[in-house]
Amino acid sequence: MNIISQTLSAIDTGPNATKQTEFASLTSAAASAGLRAVDDVKGPGFGEVMAEMAGGVVGRLNQAEYVSMKAVQGEANTREVVDALMTAEQSLNTAIAIRDKIVTAYLEVARMQI
Amino acid sequence: MDPLSLSSRIAASGLHAQETRLRIVSENLANAQSTGDAPGADPYRRKTVSFSSYLDNATGASRVKVQRLGLDNSDFTVNFDPSHPAANEKGMVKMPNVNPLIELADMRETNRSYEANLQTIKQTRELVSLTLGLLRNT
Amino acid sequence: MQPIQIFKLASQQAEWLTVRHTVVAGNIANVNTPGYAAKDVEPFKAVMEATGTKMAATHSRHFSDSKLRDSIRSNEINGIAVHPSGNTVNLANEVSKGSGIKREYEINTSIVKTVNRMMLATVRK
Repeated sequence: MNIISQTLSAIDTGPNATKQTEFASLTSAAASAGLRAVDDVKGPGFGEVMAEMAGGVVGRLNQAEYVSMKAVQGEANTREVVDALMTAEQSLNTAIAIRDKIVTAYLEVARMQI
Repeated sequence: MDPLSLSSRIAASGLHAQETRLRIVSENLANAQSTGDAPGADPYRRKTVSFSSYLDNATGASRVKVQRLGLDNSDFTVNFDPSHPAANEKGMVKMPNVNPLIELADMRETNRSYEANLQTIKQTRELVSLTLGLLRNT
Repeated sequence: MQPIQIFKLASQQAEWLTVRHTVVAGNIANVNTPGYAAKDVEPFKAVMEATGTKMAATHSRHFSDSKLRDSIRSNEINGIAVHPSGNTVNLANEVSKGSGIKREYEINTSIVKTVNRMMLATVRK
């Protein structure tokens, strides 16, 4: 872990600093608060897109939970519950796939020869 | 309100109504020969059952209920049987106004309606399990 | 992540089918009710065209079934189809409608299931 942070800080001071900052903040999961906008790129940055997506996933999971709780109380429409759960499952699976990719990429960077 | 659970409730109300009807039919059939016990007394009077649909305002569904149990006011048939305890001074006995043929036809119809309602419940269950099947094996 | 339209459409069709099933259940339950007029829901296409924009729930936690309830109609039947008691329910008709609903619902769920599986296959390892 020490090596990784050293590597990161080493890269951070390099010419690719902006990209690495973005990357490092991404790996810290969906914490969108600490994200820094990239000045020279128009529109939302990669990090913002990811944070927004993570937020969407959390929202869908919340919705699924809410509807499921209503179903437990016997108030909800069966189809509504199934739809909410299916959407949540899709989102979660997508999020997991992207997270795995990010972690793989992170490890690859960490293993990079300097 | 889930329309599917509403369907089974409506079908259940139908089943209940038809059950009541079948009960009345069997009462009528069982009492097809029930005469009075005193001379000149009235025998068993055929019962009738009437349904009405009522709109459940909360759900907008039209359920069915037994509106009232009535009595058939048609005339009794009169038989000549002087030895009967209910025979009047002329030897005539009033017999119930139950016609077994009508009751049997009624019973057939009840049976058919009951089956149809049961079919609705089965179908509702299948629809629910199809919906829940979406969550399985995915 | 644009939601795929088929899910929304399928949900709406499923809702229409379940409401229609309720109406058919009501007709069957009232098969012996004097003076009862058989009801039906307007075809899915007509409902979609009439309420197309309104069907979308204004809140993600809404399911707008009141709009569908407005499209329930008593169909006018005259002549020999009316029983002497004034009842217009044709039991055979209702039973066949019921099995038609079930078949359409089966297709609906199969489509949703397959599309869902395809979507999940893209993210699965």
